[in-house]
This record gives sequence, structure tokens and C-alpha cells, in this order.
Amino acid sequence: MRVAYYKGCLASLSAKELDTSTQALAPKLGIELDELEAVTCCGAGDIHEAEPDYYLHLNARILAYAEATGANTLMTICNVCTLNLRQANFQLQNDDALRERVSDNLETVGAPRYSGGVEVKHLLWLIADGDGYERLKEVAHKGLKGLRVAPFYGCQILRPSKLLGFEDPDRPWSLEAIIEACGGEPIDYPAKIKCCGFPIIQAREEVALGELIQPIEQSIEAGADVMVTPCPLCHLSLDAWQQKLEASTGKRYQMPILHLSQLIGVAAGLEESELQFKRHVVPVTPVLEKVEAP
Amino acid sequence: MDVALKIWRFDPETGERALKHYNVEAPEWACLLDVLDIVKDQVDGTLGFRKSCRMMICGSCGMRMDGRAILACKERMKPIVERGHVPVISAMGNMPVLKDLVVDMTPFWTKIRRMKPWLDTGYEEIPEREFRHTQEEMNPIHKESLCIMCGCCVSECNSMESDPEFFGPAALAKGFRFVGDPRERAQVERLESYNDEHGIWDCTRCYFCNERCPKGVDPRDAIAKLGAESIKEGIDRDLGAKHAKWFVHSAKTTGWLRETELVPKTQGVVSAIKQTKFAISLAKHGKVPPPVPPHVADRVQEARGLHELVHSQGRAGAAGIVQGEKALSRIEHPSDGDGA
Repeated sequence: MRVAYYKGCLASLSAKELDTSTQALAPKLGIELDELEAVTCCGAGDIHEAEPDYYLHLNARILAYAEATGANTLMTICNVCTLNLRQANFQLQNDDALRERVSDNLETVGAPRYSGGVEVKHLLWLIADGDGYERLKEVAHKGLKGLRVAPFYGCQILRPSKLLGFEDPDRPWSLEAIIEACGGEPIDYPAKIKCCGFPIIQAREEVALGELIQPIEQSIEAGADVMVTPCPLCHLSLDAWQQKLEASTGKRYQMPILHLSQLIGVAAGLEESELQFKRHVVPVTPVLEKVEAP
Repeated sequence: MDVALKIWRFDPETGERALKHYNVEAPEWACLLDVLDIVKDQVDGTLGFRKSCRMMICGSCGMRMDGRAILACKERMKPIVERGHVPVISAMGNMPVLKDLVVDMTPFWTKIRRMKPWLDTGYEEIPEREFRHTQEEMNPIHKESLCIMCGCCVSECNSMESDPEFFGPAALAKGFRFVGDPRERAQVERLESYNDEHGIWDCTRCYFCNERCPKGVDPRDAIAKLGAESIKEGIDRDLGAKHAKWFVHSAKTTGWLRETELVPKTQGVVSAIKQTKFAISLAKHGKVPPPVPPHVADRVQEARGLHELVHSQGRAGAAGIVQGEKALSRIEHPSDGDGA
């Protein structure tokens, strides 16, 4: 299937490894990426909170450029982009007057109008069931040798479920299904559906670290070798801020954190140049050694 | 039907906590509250839980079922029994347990009172005739007015787990119910007061409150409305507000987030310098992209043009969120007409 690909800010900046691994993996899974070039940041929760009318227009513009590619699906690789775009899309699809006003504005500045013809889906959803899942089982030929993987969903791919709606937000299964298809063992722990603290990590670091500690400590207690997340913001929080957690608790965690596309990429035998583990703060070497062990 | 359930009991006199199993016969129409009544009536009269109206309006019977905050009077038992599931019932989170399923809501009410939950209309003498307001003028606070203060949102609030002093979703939704009221005259004073260290910008956007609210209040959206009104009024001293404003600035200048500049723009240069060691550790792994040359989006002039255009169209602040609510209500009520 051909999809319009919106990689968002982080995959262009501090989480480039998410983009390179997604670009390498997608063709193997039968997903042809039509990358959107003339798009901006979705605004995260920030523009939605600071200037919500501008948030709606920026997201409408992304949707309009996606529609202009002729694809039915706009694929995201970030939880926050997913919620922002789905929320804006639902508003535009279900209110003709609002869509007309926004489209008129888009046209005035030279962007395409939006008629409501695109559905926003995260990469996770495209491969967790249906054709994508069948292909995944073939692609993950190398396997994960029973690696114990703790899924971390993050918030904005589960809640609010009326806008996301792919799975039960309290009993999600998609990451577990993918971990199993790749030959890993999914680890269960309560904080897998909770917040990593990232949205307030700069404005309220202590409060954010009080949230971050839960998934890190619980996954270690449950015996995980590694964590995997579908969100680059969760990744940054779990990977880069882990050292601050270590400093504040005096404990040593060193829990490696993988992006979803990297976990599958390891099982599919992608190259280091595509996976780019050198860009992680917590070393991924112990995970790779376990998978490479004879 | 034969209903099985487990209840986390707590005896405040002994401090003993135990998961007890119950089996009772209940009518097919029974909700969880009916079943708890039967347990208390026929099995153990010491079971503690709150209740009153039995019809989802008093907000007394908030508790958890399988870890999710719910109203006991809203949960039908038949589908659960048919699945063969034995639910675990426990007290709500983020509040101290007094006995069994009863929590101490004192901190909850203290925070509600902190919001000054009454109208400040600004007039000293009562006029001869009533003030008239249209439905349209009242629509912006329709959702927030539905709150029954049951505490289900507070129970699951991730920020409050980490910062117990956080005002939380119920109190802040109550705050917007007054900030957004067309009769209110003290909006700015309210926003100043809600821009507290434990106020608006302490919300981590986990969306548990929207997910759990049994009345469709969507407290997280109310918090975003308060943030939008604050910025519209120029109340932007909080680091959270500065952080949000930098995203707007990034979008209208380069299109993409100017990530590396986000720290000094949020925390100030002095705090950012204190983070140097941390920044160097991230830079080693390419996590600090060089700000120059900036990563500029193609056709970024369109994003700039949109910013100017929307500013001239009078939907700044909470209005930008309220305008989408009619469409979003169609998710739950797809057959409704054009009624707001």
C-alpha cells in the first residue's frame, strides 16, 4: 500500500534514527512511503494549547498535502502527531462550515484545500493486524531469540480512545503481538499505558521524573531486557532522561529503549547504518549481543 | 443471574487490607451499585461504599473496576457475567482510602474551593431585570457544566500521582466553567490564580481524565482552554506557557520545531547553562541538532501566512477549541442533527 508519510519534528532532528529505520523497514512490509515535504510541525500539545485555531490550520495543511498525494492514508510514527492529526481530521470531516473556512484560509495562502479524504494511522496500527501483520511475520526472519521486551505505549496512541480507537486503551495488545511475531517475549507491567512525563519535562522536571520512574523501574522488576515504544517523545524521555533519573535516585538502570521500527528492524536484519543505535544515550549493545548470540 | 466479584476491603481500625471474593444472585438489569447493595444486604453489612442518586448525577459512587475509575451506577453487570469475567472492585486512586471503597475527598474539595467556584459578575447592586444570555453564549462552557464532581478523573491523573498538590482535572475544569462564563467579570484574576506552580501547566497531557470522565466533560480540553485564554491575555510567565509559545514561534518562522533552542526559550539562558553537562551527554549521541542552519520546511511562507490570517479572524483563545466540539460530539452521537 502507498501512504503519505509524515515523519514529524523529532524524526527529522534528535531522533533521526526513527526515520532511517522506518524508511528501511517500510518497503519490506509492503508500505510505499510518499514523504510529505511541504509540511510543518503538528504543534504537539503546545500549539493546541497556546493558539488552538492555528493548531487546526497547521494540521489541516498537513492533511491537505497528504490528500494531494492521492493516498488514502497518512502514516505517522509519533503518538503526539497521531492524536493531533486525528483530532483535527475529525473536526474537519464532521463540520462542513469549519472545513470550508479552514480550506478557504489554506487556499488564500497558496496551500491545497482539504476535502476530508484522508485517514491518519500510526505505523503500529498498519502492522499490528491484517496484511501488515502477515508480512511482518515473514520479514522478521532473524527473530529476537526470546528477548524479553517491555512494551511502552505512551499516552496519545491510546487516549482519548474516542479519537484513537484502534484498541482497548486499558488492555492494548498491538505491541505485544508485534513483539511475539518478531520472536520476542512480551513483558507485562502496569505502567505500560501511563505517561512518560515528556510534555512537562522542561517546565516541571521533577513532576515529569516522578512519572518516568514508573515504567523504568517496573519493566526492570518484571525482568525486561529492553523497552520498545511507538513514540519518539517517549523514547527521548525514557532514553535521554534516564540518566537524570539515575542521578536523582542513585540507582543504575541502563535500560535500553528501542523505537518500534528499530525492534522490528533488528528482527528483520537491518544494518546499523539504518538502525543507528549509536544515536541512543543508553547503550543497546547488550540487546544486540543477546540477539546475535549463537 | 449469578454475579461473582472481588472487592479490595480495607479496615481502618486494624489497617488490614484483603481481596475478598463474593457470589450473589442479582437481577439481569443490575448495575455494579445494585450488586454492592446486595452484598451489603445479604453477605456483609460492614462493606463500605458511597451512593446516593443511582442515576449518574450525584457523583457519589466513584470507584475502580479492574483498575479503571467508574461510576458504580453506570456499569451494567450482565455483559460482564456473560463473559465469565470476575471484576476486581477497589477504591479510587490519588485519594487516601478511609474504608473499603470510600476515599477521603478532602483534598479534592480543597482544590475545587481553590478555584473560587462561584460567579464574579462585578455588579454590586442587583439590577431590576434579569440578564439574558443566548444558548450560543453559554455553549463554550456546556461540557464543563456537566461535571458531577465524582473524582473519576482525579483518580487516574498521572501528574497528581507525581505532584499531589497539582490542582488536577476536576478543579481546573471547574475553573474554565467560570472563566468561560459570559456573565463572569474576573477572568484575568482567575487566570492569574490558575497559573500557579501546581496549576494549568502542571498537566502532563496523559488524557486519562478524558478517558475516564463518565459525563463527557473532557477535563484535559478544559485545561487546554485555560492555557489558550492565559496566552491570549498575555499571562505567559510559566515555563509551560513559554514552552508552548516557542512551538508557535517555530511553526511560523521555520515550520519545524526549533528543538535545540527550546530549552533556553523555556527555562531561560541561566538555567539552560546549568544543563550544559546534560546537553553535552546528549550532543554526543546527536540529540542536540545544531540550530544553524535551521531546518526550514518547504513553502514555510504558507505557515506564516496562516498565522497572520487566523489572528485576524477572532478565534483566539479557547474559542479555537470550542469551535471543534460540535464535530467531536458526533463521535458519540453520530445521528444528531445540527444542534450544538
